[in-house]
Parts: sequence; C-alpha cells; structure tokens
Amino acid sequence: MDRDDRRPTGRPAERGAAVSVVIEARDVEFSFGQTPALRGASVAVEAGEILAVMGPSGSGKSTLLHCLAGILVPDSGEILFDGARVHAMVETERSSLRRDRFGFVFQFGQLVPELTAVENVALPLLLSGVRRKQALHKAYDWFARLGLDGLEQRRSGELSGGQAQRVALARGLVAEPQVLFADEPTGALDSLTGEQVMDLLVSAAREQGTTVILVTHEARIAAYADREVMVRDGRVNAPDRIAS
Amino acid sequence: MIRFGLRLALAGGREALTRLLVIAAAVAIGSGLLLTTLAGVNATNAQLTRYASMYPNASTGDADPLWWSTRQDYFHGEQIVRIDVAATGSTAPTPVGIPSIPGPGEYYASPAFRELLAAHPADQLGDRYPGRDLGTVGPAALTSPDTLLVIAGGSPDQVAELPAAKQVTSVGDAPALPETAVNLILGVIAGGLLFPVLIFIGTATRLSAARREQRFAAMRLVGATPRQIAIVAAVEAAAAAVAGTAVGFGLFYAFRDPLAGIPFTGMPFFPSDMSLGVLDTLLVALGVPAGAAVAAQISLRRVRISPLGVTRRVTPRAPRAYRLIPMVLGVAVLVFALGYRPESSDGQTAIFLPGLLLIMAGLIFAGPWLTMVGARIMARYANRPATLIAARRLADNPKAGFRAISGIMLALFVTSVAVGVITTIVANRGPAPTGSTDAGTVTTVFDEERASVPDTLFAELRAITGVRSATAIRENPVVTNSGEVGVIACTDLPSAYGRCGDGASVIEVPYGLSRWRESASPATVWPAASLTLDELQRLPVGAMVVGTDGSAAAVERTRTVLEVAFPTFWVGPNVPGDFESDFADTLRAWEQLANVIIIASLALGGCSLAVSVIGGLTERRRPFSLLRLSGAPVRVLRRVVALESAVPMLAVAAVAIGMGLLAAHLFLRAQMGYTLIAPEPRFYVIVVVGLAACLGVIASTLPLLERITGPETARSE
Repeated sequence: MDRDDRRPTGRPAERGAAVSVVIEARDVEFSFGQTPALRGASVAVEAGEILAVMGPSGSGKSTLLHCLAGILVPDSGEILFDGARVHAMVETERSSLRRDRFGFVFQFGQLVPELTAVENVALPLLLSGVRRKQALHKAYDWFARLGLDGLEQRRSGELSGGQAQRVALARGLVAEPQVLFADEPTGALDSLTGEQVMDLLVSAAREQGTTVILVTHEARIAAYADREVMVRDGRVNAPDRIAS
Repeated sequence: MIRFGLRLALAGGREALTRLLVIAAAVAIGSGLLLTTLAGVNATNAQLTRYASMYPNASTGDADPLWWSTRQDYFHGEQIVRIDVAATGSTAPTPVGIPSIPGPGEYYASPAFRELLAAHPADQLGDRYPGRDLGTVGPAALTSPDTLLVIAGGSPDQVAELPAAKQVTSVGDAPALPETAVNLILGVIAGGLLFPVLIFIGTATRLSAARREQRFAAMRLVGATPRQIAIVAAVEAAAAAVAGTAVGFGLFYAFRDPLAGIPFTGMPFFPSDMSLGVLDTLLVALGVPAGAAVAAQISLRRVRISPLGVTRRVTPRAPRAYRLIPMVLGVAVLVFALGYRPESSDGQTAIFLPGLLLIMAGLIFAGPWLTMVGARIMARYANRPATLIAARRLADNPKAGFRAISGIMLALFVTSVAVGVITTIVANRGPAPTGSTDAGTVTTVFDEERASVPDTLFAELRAITGVRSATAIRENPVVTNSGEVGVIACTDLPSAYGRCGDGASVIEVPYGLSRWRESASPATVWPAASLTLDELQRLPVGAMVVGTDGSAAAVERTRTVLEVAFPTFWVGPNVPGDFESDFADTLRAWEQLANVIIIASLALGGCSLAVSVIGGLTERRRPFSLLRLSGAPVRVLRRVVALESAVPMLAVAAVAIGMGLLAAHLFLRAQMGYTLIAPEPRFYVIVVVGLAACLGVIASTLPLLERITGPETARSE
C-alpha cells in the first residue's frame, strides 16, 4: 500500500528522525443530538505528515476532521494544536486559527461564484488582512504551479470540476497553512482528474511542509498518504499501516 | 400537471409549506398596499369630485331653478365654504347632503363646523351665521369629515344679488375635473407607489427560487418536459399569490377605517370613499396571481434546468452606456424649457411632462448601467474581501442588483421633485410670519360700489381689543404706472404700512396696504396720487384694511364685524395668511403625500431587498458556509450581504434625490423664475428614517445568514 514511488522527495519528517506532533485528538466524543458520532477518538498527526482518515459512510471521519479543525467542539476529550487547547478556545479564536493556520479543501462548491479564480485564491489572504495587490500577486503564482495558467479571470461556473478543485487547492495552500484539511477532495471528480489533483496536493504540501489530514473513503486516494487511520463507529482504530 | 403542481405546493412537506406561507405573506403585504393605493386614488378622486360639486355650473331644465352662490370665509386660517341657496319654486332641486332647502334665516352645517361653532365665542364666529340651525350636512356633500361647510338659505332676491350667483336646475352633477391635472397627480401617485409595490410582489415570488429549481432538475431527471416544469412553476407561484392576495384583501378591509383617518392629502378620507371598483378588484384579484405566474416563467428563463441540475445562464451581457440617453434627453428638455417657455399652460405641460417622464424612465433604464459602473469601481479598489465579493456580485448582474431598488429610485425621484418644488413655492409665497404686520392685517375688498363707510363701523372696529387701525381705501380712478388700485389721504395711512412721498397729501396704495409678495413695512414710501383731498372724498370705497395685533381673537372679531357690516362678500375678510395658507395647505398636503410615498416605497424597497438577500443567500449557502468553516468570520459575510444591498440602495437614493432636485430647479426656473430652495431638514429626516427602516428590514435577514451557513450545511449538501 505504500506509495513512496509517488511521493516527491524532500519529505520533512522521515521515519526515525525526530518528529513532533502538530495536531492531536485525545479521547474525543461528539454527538449530533442523541446520535453519537465520535466515541473516544484519538489520533495524533506529525508535522509535515500526510494522514489519510478512512472509513465507511457515517463512521465519523468527517466529524473527526471538523473537531480537529475547530469547526465542531467535542462534547468531551481534547484537541491540541501546537500545544494549544483548541477545544477550550472560543469561536473567534478558533475562527482565526482556521483562517491563519489551517487550510481547507472540500469536495465541491467551495468557490465564491461571483469572484474570479484568482480572487478566490486570494480570498484567505484578504481575510487575513493582506493588501489586495500583494494577495493577488501571491495568488497568481499558484496558477503556474498548479497548471492553471490562463484561467485566472474565469468564474467558478466557467471551470471544469478538476480545474475548480485545483483552484480550491491553491486557495487552501496560498496562506501557507500549517495544516491542510481535505475532506473528500476528489469525491466529485473522475479517477484520472482525481489523481491529478492528488499529485498536485501532495507535491505542493510537501514543498511547503504542510501537514495534510485527508478524509476519504477511497483506498486509491488514501494511498497518497504517509499513514492511514480507519474510523469505525466513532473510534479511530490503531494505525493499519505506517509508511516506511 | 396543474394538480401535481398544486400538490407540490401544498403537500410538498414542511419546507414547501413554509415557502408557500412566506411568499403568500409577502404577496399579502404587497397586495394589501396595492389595494390601499388604488382605494386611496379613488378616495382622492371622490374628494376632488365633491369639492368640484360645491361650485356647480349654471344649468337649465324643467325643474324650478335654485339660486346658488358659493363663497369663502375663513376662521383661524381654515377655509369655510359657505353656500347660499334660494328656491324659486317647489320643484327646485335640494342640494346634496341635506334633506330640504333651507329658507331665509336657516342653515345646515357640517359636523366639523358645528364643533367649531360650539367651541368658540359667538363674536368670533357664530355672529357671522345668524339664524336657525336646521341640522347636519351629510357626508355626500363633504370632501372630508373635517370639511367646514355651511349651506345657508336666503330669499331668491338676496341670493341673486350675491357674487357668482347662478341658477341650477339639478345638483350633484359635478363639473368635469381638469383631467390633465388630475391624471398627472394620480399618475405621480401611481408611479411613486405602485411601481415599488409591483416590484415587491414580483420579487416575493422569487423566494427560494434556487431550491425550487433544484427540485425541477430532479423532476427533469425522471422525465418531466420543460413545458411541464413551466406549468408546475406557474401553478406553485400562482397558488401562493392567490392565498396572499386573499389575505391582502382581508388586511385592506381590516385596516381601511384607521387608514382613512390618516390625512394623506391633508384631510382624512371617509372610510366609504376608500372603496374599490370592480376593475380595481379584478385587477388585483386576477392580476397579482397572473403576474406571479408570469414572474415565475421569467425567472425560469434565467436558468437552464436540465436533468443533471441547474445552471445559471452565462453572465448576462453588461449594460451599455447608451442607457443614459433617455435620462440625458429628459434633462435636456428641461434645460431647453429655460430658454423657450410656451405661453399656454397646455404648451408648458407639453414640454415639462415629457421631460419629467423621460427622466423617470431614464433613471430606471440607466439604473443597471450606473449600478455596474459603481460596482466595478468598488471592485477595483476593494481591499476587503466583503467589499470585493459584494462588488463582484453587483457587477456580475447589475440588472438583478438594481431590480429590487428600482422602485425606491423612482419614488425618491418623484418625491424629491415634489418636495423641491413645494418647498420653494411655499418659501416664496407662504403665509406671513406670525407676529408680523401682515399676519394681523385684515382686508376686505368690496364687490359692489360703496360711497362711504359709516363712522359707527370704525368705532366698532377700534373698540375691539388688539385692533390698531382701521382704514378705508378708495378706488383709484386712474390706471397708473405703479399699478396701485387704491388711494388714501396721507393722514389716514397707519405708520406700520409706510409713509407718504415728499409733499404728497394723497397717495396710491394697494388694497392690502402692502404690495404683492412684499411685506408691510414702515419704511415703504408710497407715491403721490394726482388727486386733491376733496376729489378723494368723492371716490367710492374699494376696500377696508384693519390692522390688528395678529392675535386670533382680534382677527376673528374683526372679521365678524366686517362680515356683519358687509354681508355680500364673495371672499370673506382675510389676512394674507388665509389665502396663502389655503395655497400652502394644498401644497403641504401634496408634500405630506410625498412623505407617505417615501416611507412606503422605502419600506417596500426594504422588503424587496430582503427577499433578494434571502434568494442570494440561498444560492450561495454552500460557498458561504465553507468560507465560514475556513475561518471567515460571520461579520465578513454579514458585511457582504449589507454591502450588496445597502450600497446600491444608498447610491440610488443619492442619485434619485439629486436628479429630483435638479429637475425641480429647472422646472422652477423655467416656470416661475424661482431658484430651488433646499427642502427642509424634515425631508432628509424622513428619507433617513425610511432608509434606516429599509436597512432594518435587510438586517432582519442576517440571522438567516448565520443559520444557513452553519457547519451542518457543509455536511448535509
């Protein structure tokens, strides 16, 4: 299952070297009303690591991602990011954490339809208070890196699914986040386009040293990760496999 | 398919029912206002017709003629209409509103006038109307519950001698109203208020359009044809509109009485005058649901619903600058009128009306272009993400952005023209300020020749507390360069009204002792008349001028004494404020109406905007919720929504008011030679309050933003 052949060189945290946990969930429990989604889930992710969170539908993998990202607050347990207690933060602190330290790529529909592609990419920088000119300048760089040259002024409705997802990837990474959360990023794409997006995601993340937490139910996509964990019935199983 | 559409609308689950109820509620408010407007127009028409019927034309017929004379009296600045009648035979027609023709020494009075009689001393009012009170004049003869009307009886000889006396053989046949003026007035009301109402109803039917379109796509997937989709959409929209219209009728009849009591035109309506004709009823009952169905069809044309989903059609073509042409042409017409002013009023109407209509149509036509230019400039310089998103959305589809506020633009333009013109005219021709010499000067001009005024009358007048002078002005026998129609001896001129030129013993003066549009002043120097004092004494008396301290009691007692002494007046003794306040009251009534239009159109505009906001949010709930998940603070999204709505609304308000005041200025310069005087702060306060109410309505949608962009949206879609 290892996919070292696909992994670009320069991975910052090789096994055996000194590694540090950047984000961690400890005994997290979360319920939607009376329905439990997580029942004591624990997982730790190292800096620069790409972790695939797998599991069947309804297993709680997206809920785990949302708890890790500070979108949802666990009913019990802890979320730690860089030593900070995310679960104890107030909403504004968690929002600013998501805005400044995290990046996100979702399955579809994340681009603001009125904005051009380049403005969509620049959006996280604008939200962080970067001046428009600088933000756009930085956003333009990503179009060449992700093979999107010439699409800068297009609207989301004028992009193909793969193109839109690459724009979304650029948006997720443009602010150089410490952690990129990708929730089924290829779920709406065909297999070839999905692989292209994953190639770009992995290489860009490695280049920046960004930690990636990737939620997927496709083994083919999970194979891009350094490590996989399986979520079943709200619990994270012991790692099935650690990349060598 | 119609039944299926109805089932979807009525039994399509909680969401479908909620949508139906919300649209129906919006349509109910809109159609309620539409009915109120139509009924208000009818009530105004009824008021004008009854007012006109107080001044009938002479007529001939088989019946015995009724002598009729309509005169004006005043009390505390309010006009009293006094109708003197005398039957010449048993078949003479009875005036409308009373059971029988009053005989000599008898009268009927309107309820408001009877209250006035009861509330004030006889020497201030009652003594002017001696005789037997026969009862109350009914509503059929009154323009409003507040109308001050007296129908007094006299002998045929007495009434025949009164000014403007005429014989009528039938009553109640109101003379034709000046149609152009009435149509223009009603057109202004309709343009100012109906347009925003219709826009609101049209926008309301677009509520939750995105959700509905997704459902239609699912139906296409299972085999529904585009035509079937169109039928379902029309049925759904019409069903909500029918329910809303029915509730709208209920709301109208429930609130009709209190609404009639609001003096929209300066005086309240009779509730029965706020009526709906068959055409009005059919127009609303059938027109609103049909309009909603048509609006649903139009909205479907903007999207392509395929079995695989809903796609917006390509970005609409950007509006072009040629859209400015009608507005520029309209301004050019008014500028042209500055240099070329036709003599006849028809000719003037032929220039001003098309000019104003061109500007009105031009504003609506140019609105999308102006919105687009403004949005593009905003987008170019936007540093904040909220500003950028809002500007891009507006620039992307400026027609949609402008649609919801087009009603506000038209209403604010119309009312700015009206308020600008009214303020300027009232300022130039308004009543004399309280406490001034003019405010206390009572003048009566005689309609028949009088050789002299008895000394006893002077004594009686001077005995009234507050009276400072009483002067008889004789008729000037010559038409002079100064144009003054009266002459008096220098010794008779009270010092408050000026002084004589050097060496003059007799001077030429106007009948009111102050010139038209000038205030009385001790500094005025009156020109000498080429008459001796002896020649002066032989001239007939043309007018009496009584100077008082301006107190209501002194003015009214003076008026009473003069009316008793000279009972055959046409227009009662008056202070300049009476005429002017008549005129100013009429203008202020229109100003009042303009204010009502401002508030109503802004509130409606706010509702239309709120519906647009909800539609826009629903369309973008996923990207917005994902932005929130990515750490975008809710306040950024709130700012997007606020900017998308508030910026064009405020910009449109500024453009509409600016264009309105410009048009008013051009009209005033061309027609009256006046320079526009800026409206009073009250106007701006009303606009600001209206805009604030509008923003309040928009703000009420913001909780929805938080609710529909919560984390569950990202999970469930």
